[in-house]
Amino acid sequence: MKYKFTIGLIGLIMSVSLRAQTQPDWNQRLGWSVDALSRVMMHDVVNPPAAARYYAYCLLGAWQYAAGADAAIPDPKMVLRTTIGKKTGGNDYRVTALFSILELGKMMLPSGYMLDTELDKFTADLKQDGMDTARIGRCRREAKATAREVVAWSRTDRYNQLSAKLRYTPKKGEGYWYPTPPAYMEAVEPNWRTVRPMLMDTCNQFSPLPCVAFDKDSSSAFMQLAREVYDYSHKATGDELASAAFWDCNPFAVSTAGHLAIGFKKISPGGHWMAIAGIACQQARLEFSQSVLVQAVLGLTLMDAFISCWDEKYSSNRIRPETVINRYIDPKWQPLLQTPPFPEYTSGHSVVSAASAEVLTYFLGDQFAYRDSSEHLFGLPTRAFTSFRAAAGEAAVSRIIGGIHFRDAVDNGVLQGRALGEFIVSKIRGLRVPAFVQK
Amino acid sequence: MKYLLAICSFLLLGTGLHSQSKRMMLRTATETGIRFSNDINETENLNVLAYEYLYNGGGVAIGDINGDNLPDIYLTANMRPNKLFLNLGGMKFKDITAEAGPGLAGRADGWKTGAAMADVNGDGWLDIYLCYSGKVDAAKRRNQLFINNGNGTFTEKAAAYGLDDKSYSTQAAFFDADNDGDLDMFLLNHNVKKIDNLELARYKYDVDSLAGNKLYRNDGGHFTDITAEAGIRQSPLSFGLGLAICDINQDGWPDIYVSNDYNEQDYCYLNQGNGTFKDVAKECFRYQSQFSMGVDIADFNNDARPDVITLDMLPEDNRRQKLLQLQENYESFQLMVDQGLHRQYMRNMLHLNNGNGTFSEIGQLAGVARTDWSWAPLFADFNNDGYKDLFVSNGYLRDYTNKDFLRYWGDYKVKKAIDREPVQLMDLVKAMPVTRYANYVFENGQDLHFLNRQAEWGIDQPSLSNGAAFADLDNDGDLDLVVNNINQEAFVYENQTRQLQPERHFLQVQLKQTNKNTRAIGARVYVYTGGEVQYQEVVACRGYLSSLPAVLHFGLGASSQTDSVVVYWPAGKKERYTGLPADQLLTLTPQQGDIESSDKAVSQSVVFEEIKPLIDVDQHAAGINDFKRQLLMQFMYSSVGTVLAAGDVDADGLTDLLVGGDAATPARIYRQEPGGTFKPIPGAAWQTGDTATLAAALLTDLNADGKIDLYLAYGGYGLWEAGTTALQDQLWLGDGKGGFVRAELPAVNASAKSCVRAADVDGDGDMDLFIGGRIIPGRYPETPFSYLLINNGNKGFSIQPGPFEKTGMVTDARFTDVNKDGRPDLLICGEMMPVKIFINTTAGFVDQTSRYFEEGNSGFWNTIEVADVDGDGQPDIVAGNLGLNTPLHASIEQPVELYYADFDENGSVDPFLTFYVQGVSYPFVSRDELNDQIYSMRKRFVSYRDYSTAQLKDIFTPAELATAQKYTATELRTVVFLNKGDRFVKQALPVEAQFSVVNRILVQDADGDGKTDLLLLGNRSDNRLKLGSIDASYGCLLKGDGKGRFKYVSPVESGLQIRGDVKTAVPLSVGAKRLLVIGRAEGALLFFKY
Repeated sequence: MKYKFTIGLIGLIMSVSLRAQTQPDWNQRLGWSVDALSRVMMHDVVNPPAAARYYAYCLLGAWQYAAGADAAIPDPKMVLRTTIGKKTGGNDYRVTALFSILELGKMMLPSGYMLDTELDKFTADLKQDGMDTARIGRCRREAKATAREVVAWSRTDRYNQLSAKLRYTPKKGEGYWYPTPPAYMEAVEPNWRTVRPMLMDTCNQFSPLPCVAFDKDSSSAFMQLAREVYDYSHKATGDELASAAFWDCNPFAVSTAGHLAIGFKKISPGGHWMAIAGIACQQARLEFSQSVLVQAVLGLTLMDAFISCWDEKYSSNRIRPETVINRYIDPKWQPLLQTPPFPEYTSGHSVVSAASAEVLTYFLGDQFAYRDSSEHLFGLPTRAFTSFRAAAGEAAVSRIIGGIHFRDAVDNGVLQGRALGEFIVSKIRGLRVPAFVQK
Repeated sequence: MKYLLAICSFLLLGTGLHSQSKRMMLRTATETGIRFSNDINETENLNVLAYEYLYNGGGVAIGDINGDNLPDIYLTANMRPNKLFLNLGGMKFKDITAEAGPGLAGRADGWKTGAAMADVNGDGWLDIYLCYSGKVDAAKRRNQLFINNGNGTFTEKAAAYGLDDKSYSTQAAFFDADNDGDLDMFLLNHNVKKIDNLELARYKYDVDSLAGNKLYRNDGGHFTDITAEAGIRQSPLSFGLGLAICDINQDGWPDIYVSNDYNEQDYCYLNQGNGTFKDVAKECFRYQSQFSMGVDIADFNNDARPDVITLDMLPEDNRRQKLLQLQENYESFQLMVDQGLHRQYMRNMLHLNNGNGTFSEIGQLAGVARTDWSWAPLFADFNNDGYKDLFVSNGYLRDYTNKDFLRYWGDYKVKKAIDREPVQLMDLVKAMPVTRYANYVFENGQDLHFLNRQAEWGIDQPSLSNGAAFADLDNDGDLDLVVNNINQEAFVYENQTRQLQPERHFLQVQLKQTNKNTRAIGARVYVYTGGEVQYQEVVACRGYLSSLPAVLHFGLGASSQTDSVVVYWPAGKKERYTGLPADQLLTLTPQQGDIESSDKAVSQSVVFEEIKPLIDVDQHAAGINDFKRQLLMQFMYSSVGTVLAAGDVDADGLTDLLVGGDAATPARIYRQEPGGTFKPIPGAAWQTGDTATLAAALLTDLNADGKIDLYLAYGGYGLWEAGTTALQDQLWLGDGKGGFVRAELPAVNASAKSCVRAADVDGDGDMDLFIGGRIIPGRYPETPFSYLLINNGNKGFSIQPGPFEKTGMVTDARFTDVNKDGRPDLLICGEMMPVKIFINTTAGFVDQTSRYFEEGNSGFWNTIEVADVDGDGQPDIVAGNLGLNTPLHASIEQPVELYYADFDENGSVDPFLTFYVQGVSYPFVSRDELNDQIYSMRKRFVSYRDYSTAQLKDIFTPAELATAQKYTATELRTVVFLNKGDRFVKQALPVEAQFSVVNRILVQDADGDGKTDLLLLGNRSDNRLKLGSIDASYGCLLKGDGKGRFKYVSPVESGLQIRGDVKTAVPLSVGAKRLLVIGRAEGALLFFKY
C-alpha cells in the first residue's frame, strides 16, 4: 500500500514537473498572435496606415483583459476616448486575451478568415495544456463578445467614410509628388488625416518643421538634398545597403518582367515595430499583462504616427527623389528601394520608428540591446541594436540610403515622431504606469 | 414505302451534310504528313521569368519553293528544329528538311522566331529568311538566309548578303521600299528588357540597334542598313510584334505599319518616296491598341481602301476579363500621353480607312475587339462570298497576368521562408494557370460587322496558337489555313467551301515580273464584279511571324466572271484586263492588259469646306478627373464647353455669336461686322473662371421688347455643390445695342444644367423657359431637378412645378407643337431614359410618352432635333445616342442597368452599372474598384476568382438590393423617330451613324439637292479607361432621300475631318455664305463653309 502510494506520489510529482516544463510561454504566444495578424495583412497587402489602425484595434481587447487581471495595468478607457474598459477574465484571462486578438483580426481584416488556422491551432495547444473544451469555448465566446464591442467602436472612427471622399489628384507643379515607377500606383490614403486618432487631439498636433522648398536650380538647398540621395546610391557601404534593405518594409514592391508583374510582399513599418516589441518583451521576460500593454500602446502609437505623418504628406505633397533625380540629374537612375506610392515629406518610417522607440524605451529602458530577427521571412539576416532609439535612427537614415527620402524628411520626421512618442509616454506616465524594466 | 424511303434519304442527306458542314476541316498529321509541334520545355533556367517572350510562338511561311505551283510550308519552332514540308498535292506533305538543307532546322541553341519566304536574290526561286531572338549570345542570334539553289536544296548565305543581323528579331518583310525593282528588307525587332519608367522621354531618343527596327536597302545583291537615313526609329522601347507592309495612302509607295507591345505606341511609317519614311500614326489614328501583337492590313469593306487591324489581350468573357484586366491608372495613362506615347487601350483595334488620311476605329461595333491573348490576324475570304473574313490566332501558355497570381508570389516566398525551403522559380511558373481556348474566326457580315463562326466553321479546338498563314494548298479554289501551336500539333485546316458551295466562284491572281522583284511584291490589284470592287495588294509578309504566297485569292460569290481586273504594277503602269472568267489561277505579266493612264489626283468638291476660323478662341480641357470624386461613374461630366449661342444682339441684321470660354477665358459675345469679321463686344463678357462652369446659353428676346436677351445656364461637375452659387443661372436683359443688364432669377441651383429652351408655353406673348437638369455633382446618378420658368412680365420669372421636374438626367429638350393644338409641347431626352413627350394641356404639362412611343426607347440620349425629315409636313425627331462602338450593348431583353444606393451607409452614392456579356448580366466594376468604393466588399470577395463570376445579386443581398433605385437603357443607336401623326415610329440611322456618341445634330439640306440631310457630330473621350475614348467620328453626314431614309456620305466627299469631342455646332450666315461653327471640348473653334 505504502509502496503503491509512493509510486502514486512520484507519478504526481512527475506529472507536476512535466506540467512545469511545458508551462506555456504566454509572451511567445502573444508574439505569435501578433505575427498571425501581420501575415494576414501581408496576404491582403494592407497599406501602412491601415495596418497601423488594425494593430491598434486588434490589441485593444487583450488590453482590456490585462487591465482586468493586473492592477498595475491602466484601464484603456482612462486614456482612450471610449467606454471600452477593463474586463475580468479570471484565471483564464490570458486565453481570453489572446482569443480576442485573433477574433478581432478575423472580424476586421479583409482575409480574416485565414486566422481560422491560428484559432484552431491555439485551441489545440490549449487542449495540449490540459484545458478542457468547455473552458476553452467559454473563453473564446467571451473574447468574441469583447471583440464585437471593439469593432463597433472602430466603426465610429470615420475610416468607412474614406471611400466617400474626394480621391487624390496629383497637384500640378514641378515640386509636387507624382506617381512613381514601375507601377505608378495611385496615392495611398490621401484622406487619412480625417480618421479619428487614438490619443492625439488633432491630426496636426505634431506638425513637423517645414520642408526645404523645391528649387530646381542646381545650387539650391533642395538640389543639395537630391544630390545627397543620388551620391549615396554610388557610395553607400555594404552595411548601409544592408540596413536599407532591412528597413524596406514595403508591403508590395512590384517587380515587372514583361506582362508579368509580381508583388514582393513585406511586413509594413508598423508590423516591423510590433515584431520588435514582441522580441523585446520576450527577451525582458515581462509579465504577460505587461507585454500586452506594451503591444497595445505601441499599436495606438503607430496609428497616431501615421495620422500625423499622412497629414503632413498630403499637405506638403512633396516630390520623391526618384522623380527629381530622373528629371534633373540622371534620367535613368533608380533608387535601391522601390519608391512607395505617396508623397515624400515627412518620412513615414522615420516618424513611426522614432515614436515607437520612445514608447519602447519608456517601458523597457534606453540601453536595451536586442537582436532583430523579424526580417528572416524576407531572406534578410538578423541585425543587432544597442537601443530602440539607435534602431529608429538607423531606420530613418536608411530611407536616404534607399533612395526614397531626402535628409530633411528623415531628420524632421524623427523629430515629429519623437514629439508624438513623448506625448504618448507622458499620457502613460500620467496614469502612473511605471517602466517595466528599470533604467 | 416510297414515301418512307424519301424520308430515309432525307435523313441520310441530313446527317451527311452535318458531318461535312464544317467549312474548315481539321486534317490530322497522319492525313497530311505535317507532324510538327512547337514544344516549349520550361526549366528552372529557361522559363517565362527568365525570358518574357518565351511563349510568343513560332511562324508559318507558305510558298512554292520548287515551281510546281503547289504551296510548300516551312514551320518554325523556338526550341525544337524547324521543318520544311513539300506539298505533294491532295493535302499530302513530306518533310524534306534533311534533304533540302539541314541548316533549315535552325541553330539548336538559338531561339527561332519568324520566317519569311521571298525571292531575295531575284532568281525566280523562293528563298527563306529565318529570324532569331532570345537572351542568348549574339552569335546564336544572327538571322539566317537560306538561298534556294533551284534544285530542291538551300544554302545559308546571310553574311554574304549582309543580312546576318544580330538584333532581337521578330520577323522580316521583303518588299521594294524604293520602287527600284528589287526587294529591300524591313526587320522587326524587340527589346528583351521592359522599361517601366514612363517619364524617361529621353529613352525615346536613345538608339538601341538590337531592339530597334531596321531597314535594309538591296544594293545589287548586298543589303545596306539605311535605318537612320530612312527615318526609322530605333527606340529601346521597341517591342515590335506585328509588321504589315501596305500602300496605306495609295500613292504607289509601300508604307510600313509596326505594332508595339507595352508602352511604345504603334508606328505608321508613310513612304515619302524619297528614301525616307514619316510616322503619321498620331495623325491617322485617334488611339491604338496598347499591348499590340499581330497586325494585318487589308480592305475588308470593299471600298478599295486598306483597313488596319491590330490585336491585343482583352478576353471576350466576363470571367477572364475580371481575372486578367489591368487596373485602370489615370495618372500613368496621362503620363503616357504627355510623353508622346499616344492614347492606348487594351483591346483589338479595327481601324476603318476613311480615305482622307484618317481612320475610324470600330472594333467594338464590328464585334472583333475581344479575342483574348491574340497573335495573328488574317483578313481572307474563306467562304468565297467576295468579302474578306477574319481569322485570329490566340493563346498564351500561362495566364501570368492573372491578378490572383500577382499576389500569390509574395505569399509563396513568405511561406517558403517559414518552411525554410528554397524558392524554386519553377514552383512559381507552374502555379500560373494554363488556359487553352479556341482561335477565332469571323465571317464578314458585309455591313461592317463580323460574325463569330468558331463552331460553325470548325475552328473551335482549344489551343495555344501563334503564327498562321493561309493559301490554297490543294488548288481547289478556296483558302486553307495553317496554324503553328505551342505544345500541340500544328493545325492544318482544309477549306471545304468549294465542295459545300460550288456555286461560289473565285479568281486567283499571280503576278510575274522580269526584274528582280519577280513576284511583283507591292502591286495593287482591283477586281470588279457586278458594280462591286475588291482590292488586294501583293504582300508576302502578313499575320504574325509568318508569310504567305504571292498569290491573291478573290472570292467572287455568284459572279462567274469578272467585269475587269485592274493591276497597278510596282512603280509601273496601270493595266486593265476585262472579262476574265472565274475559277482559275491567272498568271499575269506586265503589258498583257490594256494600259491606262494612272489616275491623276482629282480635287473632289466637298460638301463642307473648312475655312480659317473667324473667331480665334481656344477651349482648354476641363483638366479634372471626375472619377476622383465618384469612382464608379462611367463618364465624366465636367467637360461641357465650348458653349456657343447665336443671336443678333445689336439689332444690325447680322447674327452675333456668344463663345462660352473656359476656366481661364470669359464668355464673350462676338459682334459680326459687315465685312464678315467678328470682334468681341466690350463689356459683353462673363468671367466664370474657377467659380462656375457655363453649360448652356440662349440668346433670344425673352420679354418681347424686340431686343435679344441672354440666359446663362450653369452646370458641369468638378467640385461644384448643389444649392450653391456655382450652379445658379444668370439672366441678362439686352438693350439692343450689345449691352446687357442683369435681372433677377429664382434659385435654380439644385442641379448642374445641360440646356435652356424657350417657348411661350402659357400663350401670354412672352418667352418661358425650360432648364434641363443634367446631374447633381457628387451625387450621380440621383435624379437632378429640371425647371420650368414662367415669364411673368415685369415681375420676372417664377418656377412652375411640372411632371418633368425629376424626370431623369436631362441632356436636351425641345419645344414643338406635337398635337397641333397651338400650344408648344415639350420633348425631353437624357441619360438612361427614353425620349419623353410632355403635352402642354390647359391643365398643365402631361407626360404622354407611352401614348406616342413604343416601349424600349430608353437610351443614353445626348441631343434631340426636331424637323420634318420625310416631307410629310409633320415634325420628326432625330435623337443622338451612345452608338454601338462601346463595350455596352442593350436591348429590351438584355438591358443596360444602373443600380444605385448608399449600400454601405457612408454618405456616398454607390452606382453599379450592369450589362450583358455573353447572355448574362454582370457588373462593369472591377474587384479593385468595388473594394475601393465599399470597404466591406474586401471581406465578401477575398480573391479575384471569387469575384470573377459575381453578378449583382452575388454582391448584394436581396435586402440591400431592395434599397436600390434603378435606371435602364435598352436602345443605344442614334435614330429618327418619324412622326406618323399619332405616334412616333423609330428608324435606326445607318451603321456609320453608330460609330460614336452623337452630341449635336443638324438637320438641313447640306448638299443643295432640295432634300433634308443630317449632320451628326459628337464623340466622347473623357470616359473610364476600360471604356476608352469613344471618338471614331470625324463628323457623319447622312444624305437624305426626302422620304426619311439616309445614306452615309464618305468623308472624302463630305469634307469632314473633325477631330475630338464636338459639344456644340451653330449654323451662321455670314454675308452670302452659309457657315457652320463647331465648338469642341478642347481646341480651336472650327468653321466650315457649305
